[in-house]
Amino acid sequence: MQLLDRSFDVSTVPVAGATLSAEALRGVEQFLYREARLLDERRFAEWLALWTEDGRYWVPRFHDQANPFEQISLFWEDKMLREVRVRRVENARNWSQQPLTRSAHLVGNITIEGLDAAGHLIVRSTLQLTEWRIEQRQLAGAVFHKLVATDDGDWKIVLKRVNLVNCDDVFANLEVFI
Amino acid sequence: MTLSNEALAAMVRPDSVHKHVYTDPEIFALEMERIYGQAWIYVGHESQVKKTGDYHTTRIGDQDVIMVRAADGKVHVVYNRCPHKGAKVVPEGDGCTGKFFRCPYHAWTFKLDGSHLSLPLKNGLEGTCYDPANPDFSMKAVARVDSYRGFVFASQSAAGPDLKTFLGGVASSIDNLCERSPVGEVEVAGGTFRVMQKSNWKVFYENLHDTMHARVTHESSFVAAREEAKEIGEMPFELLIMDGNGEPYEFWEKLELRAYHNGHGYMEGIFDPTAATRDPVSRDHFAVLTEAYGEEKARQIMGMNRHNTIIYGSGSPHTVFQQFRVIRPVSVDRTMIEIQTFRLKGAPDAVFDRALTYANLINSPSSNVMPDDVEVYKRCQEGNQTRGGDWVSLHRYLGTDQETPDGMVSTNGTSELPMRNQFAAWKQYMLNPPTQATPNQTASTEAGHAAA
Repeated sequence: MQLLDRSFDVSTVPVAGATLSAEALRGVEQFLYREARLLDERRFAEWLALWTEDGRYWVPRFHDQANPFEQISLFWEDKMLREVRVRRVENARNWSQQPLTRSAHLVGNITIEGLDAAGHLIVRSTLQLTEWRIEQRQLAGAVFHKLVATDDGDWKIVLKRVNLVNCDDVFANLEVFI
Repeated sequence: MTLSNEALAAMVRPDSVHKHVYTDPEIFALEMERIYGQAWIYVGHESQVKKTGDYHTTRIGDQDVIMVRAADGKVHVVYNRCPHKGAKVVPEGDGCTGKFFRCPYHAWTFKLDGSHLSLPLKNGLEGTCYDPANPDFSMKAVARVDSYRGFVFASQSAAGPDLKTFLGGVASSIDNLCERSPVGEVEVAGGTFRVMQKSNWKVFYENLHDTMHARVTHESSFVAAREEAKEIGEMPFELLIMDGNGEPYEFWEKLELRAYHNGHGYMEGIFDPTAATRDPVSRDHFAVLTEAYGEEKARQIMGMNRHNTIIYGSGSPHTVFQQFRVIRPVSVDRTMIEIQTFRLKGAPDAVFDRALTYANLINSPSSNVMPDDVEVYKRCQEGNQTRGGDWVSLHRYLGTDQETPDGMVSTNGTSELPMRNQFAAWKQYMLNPPTQATPNQTASTEAGHAAA
């Protein structure tokens, strides 16, 4: 699938409701916490395995951005580009990762929004992210995950959209995933 | 205390510069007056202010200015300051102010060229020198504004060369960028990124034509791209644009570096006759250009394989992928880069897709390539604060640069000619302050004002 394939459904507005048991809801929450933890612990190989083959990671450049096809994005990455980013930050000559970026993701306010047209579960959460590399940076925003259930009762990420409160800000480099 | 011309001149040697040019706040302040107070500086593209009242705020050196479209279609550039109390009349960003500017503090209003329109309760100013025609009651316009093929530049100095003369040989890069559109027009599209670098503005200009850093600084990203390509068995566009930095030294040595007056220049790959037909996107683009210009001219346009162009003081247009990295000095150790992407009017959509992808992957804050640049710029900034030495070397291929009718050309693509050329311009500006009053110290018409 091409990076700018317009047929990829980036909408996070549900087309149908979803009812989850308390146990299933807990499973979703645990999945989101685990995803955040893998990033904080820089366990990138495990993090990459959380995604579907054609899953997309998106951090829009604009508030209410309709899609990543007509406008620039802070991140718009498919499997290949997520892997390249991991390879780069793990390269021994990654001058800008000396010292490494450290992070603490705080994920909360998890709500089940409903289902998209393909039946993926849309989950909204709020993110507080503290990053440190020589100096501290605070990032925050609303995160939308579109998840698909796996045969073994777990989840995979079809889309992760991070709406940063300051997406239109001047930025220092964003080197690792938010 | 202002640094003497003698002291400033001594900072630039033929083969090196004194580190204080990067670290001394006093020199930075002088640069704002003597370089950014004189040179033509890119403020934005006409497509950013399409309708009457549309404005775009930006900075010329340390000056906040507004680019605005007036009712007669003309683009004006005025300082973002109300002449009453000094408040900035419009907030940072893009917007539309309607038929006139209105200050949010006391509702003084101004026409779109900045000239005074009105203010409330005028009778309170009776018996004073208040007069709508008195410039002291208007927003001040920047001394000169001109546009080259839609690219709007302004100069804070009433004297000096015209824009076309100032641009010299690099006007051809703007021409090439425009000619890549079958109708010869481009527009800013898709939004702009803004990235902060913790280093002096000159460091970035020098790096733009520094071919010796590519495979050293960017090892992490070109190796990552190559490893990934090997694993997936192909090298798509997204990886190809990260891979280029890994070319061996022999590749960079063959490139040609062109240097022009005023610090400008460009890096040219040897004319690439295959550029027009190498991939499906280029082939479609070539077909559209052939229809518009004929095959020979279309081949020329797409074969002009320039990498970074430098318009010293403004930034770096990239013709092949339709970007403009606008370089805004913030302080002696902070530089903000505004990254614009252009749509080539009438070109296939896939060409804009490629420009968008290039912006996202190479120039955005999340680029895998740029962080290593930004890191080494910061290390230069910090290293130059130590007592470990005073001079910064520009020795490579010194003495081999060749004069051309309109500038200079390197004999080797790893030459530090571009840096030497930039500092020649720097010295020229710094030793020759603007002759008229500087923008901050404009003499008021004292006679009109009542004595204290």
